[in-house]
Amino acid sequence: MVHFLQACMNGLLTGALYALIGMGLALIFGVMRIVNFAHGSFLMVGMYVSYLLFERLKINPYYGFIAAGIFLFGFGYLVYKLLIQPIRDRSDFMQILMTTGIALILVDTAQLTFGADYHQTNIDLVNRAVHFGPFTLNAASLLSFGIATVFIVGLREFVVRSRTGQALRAIAQNRDVAPLMGINVTRIQGFSFALGIAFAGIAGGLLLPALYLFPSVGEDYTLKAFVIVVLGGMGSIEGAAMGGLVLGVAESLTSTYIGNQWALAIDFVLFLLMLSLKPSGIFGRQRA
Amino acid sequence: MQGKISLILISAVAVMVTVGCQKGAGNTVKVGAITSVTGSQAAFGEAHKNGYAIALDEINNKGGVLGKKLELDIYDDQSKPDQAVQGVSKLVDQDRVPVLLGAYSSENTKAIIPAVTQRQIPLIIPTATADNVMDSKSPWVFRICAGANDYARATIAFLKANGAPKKIAIVYENTNFGQANRKSMEAAAKEAGMDIVAIESYEAKSPDYKPVLQRVKQANPDVVYLCSYLLDASTLMRQSQEVDFNPKYYTSAGTGFAAAEFPTAKGAGKNAEYTFSVSQWLPAVQWPGSKEFDDAYFKRFNSHPAYHAIQAYAALHAAADAMNRAGSLDSAKIRDAIKSLNLPSTPFGPVQFDAGGQNQHPVLITQVQGGQYHIVFPQDAADAKPIIPAPKWNERK
Repeated sequence: MVHFLQACMNGLLTGALYALIGMGLALIFGVMRIVNFAHGSFLMVGMYVSYLLFERLKINPYYGFIAAGIFLFGFGYLVYKLLIQPIRDRSDFMQILMTTGIALILVDTAQLTFGADYHQTNIDLVNRAVHFGPFTLNAASLLSFGIATVFIVGLREFVVRSRTGQALRAIAQNRDVAPLMGINVTRIQGFSFALGIAFAGIAGGLLLPALYLFPSVGEDYTLKAFVIVVLGGMGSIEGAAMGGLVLGVAESLTSTYIGNQWALAIDFVLFLLMLSLKPSGIFGRQRA
Repeated sequence: MQGKISLILISAVAVMVTVGCQKGAGNTVKVGAITSVTGSQAAFGEAHKNGYAIALDEINNKGGVLGKKLELDIYDDQSKPDQAVQGVSKLVDQDRVPVLLGAYSSENTKAIIPAVTQRQIPLIIPTATADNVMDSKSPWVFRICAGANDYARATIAFLKANGAPKKIAIVYENTNFGQANRKSMEAAAKEAGMDIVAIESYEAKSPDYKPVLQRVKQANPDVVYLCSYLLDASTLMRQSQEVDFNPKYYTSAGTGFAAAEFPTAKGAGKNAEYTFSVSQWLPAVQWPGSKEFDDAYFKRFNSHPAYHAIQAYAALHAAADAMNRAGSLDSAKIRDAIKSLNLPSTPFGPVQFDAGGQNQHPVLITQVQGGQYHIVFPQDAADAKPIIPAPKWNERK
């Protein structure tokens, strides 16, 4: 029982970061109907931003992630203006090609600039463990979990309560009617794309201490993000948060009881099960 | 106007290329080397490069190869097998090197063997320990280092002589190197009548090994045998502390656990303490010249070498010796010269290939004590006594 609970807790710690990644993707999909195949690559960029701050200026990644988020908000907005906006009314196929292309360019640029080397930020916190009762949690993961929770709750409150959040939901519900209500669709879409990318950057910054960094590190996370969004119901932000937690726990339990090499496979087992049994996701709705 | 400029540029490039080629063909002899300069195994690629650099200087100071200056043409495989295969085509088809050294990992080495065999270019393998790299029986392939079976046998012999523990667990990274070492240890432990209580694999790129360690801990082994590269070895030791996993013996299939960086802050730091590892060489071994190699290395790179560096060094020396004796840059003649190679006294011990292309090399057991590797087995080579059992994590300072 202790082992089971320990595995669940480890899973929740990872799951909160998955939730951040998934919510970013869900936000972009919900408001723009664009499937962002470059999501994991933006996450990788966030990791490099935080890593460079650590390497060059000795800034702890637990401050660096904020810079990563802000940088990616600006970068995301730029990408939206230059590359996404011109094709937003084109076919899904065009959008897939565009975001996949962006992903390739980001990964190869990172490879050219920083090389294929693996990097690690050996901060002291990663080597500490927090013990309570029979359980042990990694101090760095615990801190990441706390910060991620703040952002998860914050994003949800923002979408539900603020005026911009309402506009965002209005566009998600009906893009043709929203402008008639006085909502500037282009502006809000640009904002939500940038915000979704910023969340990928924040997640990257928070993942950095626990991971190895290399140019193609994001590819697994693009796939995970899709699984999370499908688990939660396409475009649902709360659903994505739940989906992230479910995925984290599922991976941890698989790794503990079946074997580490199956942890990545469980993502797709869940993905296929969900799509074939309950395609509308855990929350059972089609829209945000 | 633009057309004219590009024409001039093109001719300039063409001239440079031709001049470059002529220079290459005229005064120098090239040997190709594929290794992991970047990527997850960059630490070992660095060791290769440094080892090659020292051998290169020694060879050129003694007059080079066939009276010409020897040059090393290094291809970075980025720690990826497909890139390693591309390296064969770049070095052989384009740069026309007559002999190849490399790659670093067992995975990448296995990947290039069909390509070198097909091109009929001799390959000297410095570091790949998975025994299946020799399975092809290709007459073009030679290996300097000892393999996974030798590692497992040496570890078992050491355990038998030091307390003869009964229960062993094997943890391996899931590529050619890890799989091969797991297989060898499984067979050797069974043969020795040991009880294998757990066999676990992990994917090196997702660095959460705690569930794996948790399961091994539950099986309660006396000995754990770890088959890992450097990043995963460091993470495994850190997470062993986190899950409070306390076997009496931390043993390992060298590699990450024998890398120069492992007992330093760049690796596992003080978590490396008390780990045993197989090793193919240390500065303290009795072979003549090994101390000098260590000094030359330290002077030049400001760190002490692990065995990966001297294996690269030995491979380049073997290639140079074979080319000189072949008296030609013809690959088939070089291959025959490698076959008949006999270097009875090198800093890496005697080098001579058997009919299967394998150099019989003895394996040592080392332990990290006070941040340094010490030889603890076999007894006639030992410079320290093994510390057994490893203190529990909460009793360590």
